[in-house]
Amino acid sequence: MNGGLFFRQLVRESRGSRGRLAFFAACLGTGVAAVVAVAGLSGALEESVRSQARPLLGADLAVESFQPFPAAAESAVAALPGTRTRSEELVTVLYEPGAAAAVEGAPPRSLLVELKAVEAPYPLAGELRLEPDRPLADLLPPDGLVAHPDVLRRLGVAVGGDVSLGGAPFRVTGTIASEADRLAGSFRLGPRVFVSRAGLARTSLAGFGSRVTRRILVNLPEGTDVPAARRRVSALREQLDGVPGVRVESWLDGQPELRQAIRRTSRFLGLVALASLLVGGVGVAQTVRAWIASRLDALAILRCLGVTSRETVLLYGVQTAGLGLVGSLLGAVAGIGLVAAVGHTYSDLLPPGGLDPWQPAALLRGLGLGVGVSVLFGLPALLAVRRVPPVRVFRHDAEPLPASRGLRLAAAALLLAGVGLTAWVQSGLPRVAVSFTLGLAASALLLFLAAHALLRLVARVPRERLPFALKSGLSALSRPGAGTVGSILALGLGTLVVLQIALVQRDFSRQLTADLPRNAPTAFLLDVQPDQWPGVAALLSANGATRTLSVPVVTARLTAVDGTPTAELAKRRAGDSRRERWALTREQRLTYMTELPEDNRVVAGALWSDPSAAEVSLEEEFAGRIGAKVGTWLDFDVQGVPLRLKVTSLRSVDWRTFGINFFLVVEPGVLEKAPQLRLAAARLPSAHEGRIQDLLAREFPNVVLIRTREVLERVAAIATRLGKAVRVLGAFSVLAGLVILAGSISAASARRAREAALLKVLGVTRGGVATALAVEYALVGLVAGLVGTLGATLLAGSVLTAAFEVSFRPSPLLLAATPLAVALLAAAAGLAVSLRALQVRPLEVLRGE
Amino acid sequence: MRTPLLELRGVSKELPSGGRTLRILDAIDLSIAAGEFAAILGPSGSGKSTLLGLMAGLDRPTRGEVLLEGEAIHRMTEDELALLRRRKVGFVFQSYQLLSNLTARENVLLPLELTGQAGAGARATELLAAVGLGERGHHYPSQLSGGEQQRVALARAFGTRPPLLLADEPTGNLDSATGASILDALVRLRSESGTTLVLVTHDPAVAALADRRVHLRDGRIERDETAS
Repeated sequence: MNGGLFFRQLVRESRGSRGRLAFFAACLGTGVAAVVAVAGLSGALEESVRSQARPLLGADLAVESFQPFPAAAESAVAALPGTRTRSEELVTVLYEPGAAAAVEGAPPRSLLVELKAVEAPYPLAGELRLEPDRPLADLLPPDGLVAHPDVLRRLGVAVGGDVSLGGAPFRVTGTIASEADRLAGSFRLGPRVFVSRAGLARTSLAGFGSRVTRRILVNLPEGTDVPAARRRVSALREQLDGVPGVRVESWLDGQPELRQAIRRTSRFLGLVALASLLVGGVGVAQTVRAWIASRLDALAILRCLGVTSRETVLLYGVQTAGLGLVGSLLGAVAGIGLVAAVGHTYSDLLPPGGLDPWQPAALLRGLGLGVGVSVLFGLPALLAVRRVPPVRVFRHDAEPLPASRGLRLAAAALLLAGVGLTAWVQSGLPRVAVSFTLGLAASALLLFLAAHALLRLVARVPRERLPFALKSGLSALSRPGAGTVGSILALGLGTLVVLQIALVQRDFSRQLTADLPRNAPTAFLLDVQPDQWPGVAALLSANGATRTLSVPVVTARLTAVDGTPTAELAKRRAGDSRRERWALTREQRLTYMTELPEDNRVVAGALWSDPSAAEVSLEEEFAGRIGAKVGTWLDFDVQGVPLRLKVTSLRSVDWRTFGINFFLVVEPGVLEKAPQLRLAAARLPSAHEGRIQDLLAREFPNVVLIRTREVLERVAAIATRLGKAVRVLGAFSVLAGLVILAGSISAASARRAREAALLKVLGVTRGGVATALAVEYALVGLVAGLVGTLGATLLAGSVLTAAFEVSFRPSPLLLAATPLAVALLAAAAGLAVSLRALQVRPLEVLRGE
Repeated sequence: MRTPLLELRGVSKELPSGGRTLRILDAIDLSIAAGEFAAILGPSGSGKSTLLGLMAGLDRPTRGEVLLEGEAIHRMTEDELALLRRRKVGFVFQSYQLLSNLTARENVLLPLELTGQAGAGARATELLAAVGLGERGHHYPSQLSGGEQQRVALARAFGTRPPLLLADEPTGNLDSATGASILDALVRLRSESGTTLVLVTHDPAVAALADRRVHLRDGRIERDETAS
């Protein structure tokens, strides 16, 4: 058959299958829409974050440190060409000193803000628009302050009004109209306030122990291209590698941590989408099977006329792929629409500039997976095309010969490999892909065995005394060519996938919106000087604070692990992520205590067990990052004083309690004399939180009160919305799954229409035929539902615990209700499809056949 | 004696049925000469259609040999057989066997296109006109009467001028007047093209038109008569 004829014949053959397109497209399109939406959303978010990376950083590159820059860093940065500027950032409290005293019911007079002290030129990248519209330097004399309008509104201050910052008076000289270096929806502790670096020097905020992030921002000379910029950045990183506490960020990295978080989320959603695509695949398999069954006569005629079996397989294979492409295209369009809708609905959580729904990579992924799934799932049915006996033109009942065992095994292996590959594409993790695929394969095998067991059981049931409907229903199940095994497999797999999505998304959402522990602190107090603590504690308790707890904090630098300098260790670990290496060189915070808090558990060694050494207990993951274990010696530089500590225990910490916890806990009697601050936590009565903050701001201006209630509420709000998105996607798949399940039954039901007509000819009433059909379908549905539910529970449990570290709680009600619901659905769908055959006169159906 | 176009040597066909073997054809020896018009007669269940299926390579004998133009078709693979039918065998069936999603003209065109014949379109038009359906080419089979569908099947069968044409009860589903007109057309087209025709029927009146009548009973050749 030449190309032209093949194409013409393709068009001619498709005439008979156009009616199926709607169902085929609906099956596949739903899954593809989900895949494209998830991949598109993740791609669009990453692209948006990447494109905003330079304005977000505020320059081409930034060198960052919590301590004043060491000379090595200063000289390395000085050697760079281009423009530079410096900034200091910290979280602090802005105070409105106008009223004489803090009184209950009055507007709050203090506010937690994110303060940035800058110098001209600023910013080096992106745009900062101010009101009045003047350069920042003009608005920032040493006593000038520019704030976000929220600050003024909440403190009741106007431009020109006076505020107090770190014990120094400032005048509000303007407001921020828009600031490019803040990511919309990113985590914020308070609104932005700008002062000049000279202004910051007037306050007590940059004193000992304060948490100031110092940055040198550098713009490389005009015309530096990306490769040259990349070379500069890596040269600088190499120079500063091992310089303690200093790190280099560049816009070329494009917010790696944020992008990592996006990828993690899209990995989970990607699997949810894949599951709905696989449900679509089951629908495709059923559609192709029913389609081929209806074309057996035509295939026999074609073979008779001299069309080879290879040509017929190709003809129908290309048609299946074509239908898959059309269905996938429709799904892809819906997916793009979903990305656009999400961009519109969640605009407040997204980076400035919104999302670009046009993501070619996501589209290609959706189309590729859609066509792949349609061919893979259609393949077993397509193979039957090859085996249609041409002699069927004489003998109408000549069915396609069964495929050889080898061929069937090869098709199953191909299907399995395809599912594994798609799971890998969607999750990006081979481990998850393997468990996903094996779980599905095990479930299919279980369904297959269960179906055979049912048939064997049914064959042994003595039927003589049963009522007609039950007798007929049972014999229909076990007669040759009934397709019971196929129906149970399709229905069971559909149930499994749909229920698994429902279970996974339910527990995932529950985890996201999990209630906070009831006794978690509602506020943290940072930067409390030791001599301030009695006063602060008294203030807290006078205002109803409970569960007040404070611990000392000593800042230090880790200088060596088992004698090897950390700078050298960091260099050796050049292959690790920068975050891993950062654990070695950043400023460490140490505390000391006799007994560990309740949320800590010693997992290795024993606490304070070596009288001959000064001991330290490490959090187990942190220990892994710095390469320490029980017995390791750690050298610290505690503000100029060397200190050698021995690791004698490792701890696991339950961070979800939101208690005060440290990576490094030192035994008592070692650090008491070191310069230190106190970190405190307390539960504040919610009505008094504002007043406590106001009082603290007046009495102890350097103390920062962070109200976790607000922060956690914000986190919970974001989590709730994310949970909602997961539920929507899950519900989408569940809905599609239900349609497909009904469809898969209907594909098999068409064959039964003739039998219904025959029974009526033989004198069985309409009710009798309907009951017989209902019994048959309900039995198929019950077995499929039972095995599908079992498989879904196992699969959801393993996916949640192994891949996403989320605990799994099966719901007995859901597990009991599902098989019954599937049985009912199967019976209802089967009857609905047979309705016409039940209603029309038998002769019409028999003639139609 | 004319050269044999089709030869069956000791052909038997057995099928399993409910745990035992059912013998449909038993050691058939038959030779059909090129250009001959042979009718195969017999009661229902005598093995007529099975014999036709074996002649076309649609089915395989349990024992024996089938040779078409000297080629042993019983040894060919399914795809070799398909290619052989494409070039050498035309069919007319009792139930017409038109492709329902192709128009009448496309049904006639398909074998011509498969063999890659030049001027396929003109030939299809000519054939449809020859069977009196020149104006109905754009109709689908479901829009045609039984007699009209069988005429399309005739046009399709003669399209590629196959050396062998096999007809299985071509008038079995038609009333006697329509059946007679179909037979007329069949005989006319055969004599114009010189095609060898093997026709299966249980109707002695239809068989009377043939040069030779082969009587089958219980899977064996009971009588082989040549018209005087």
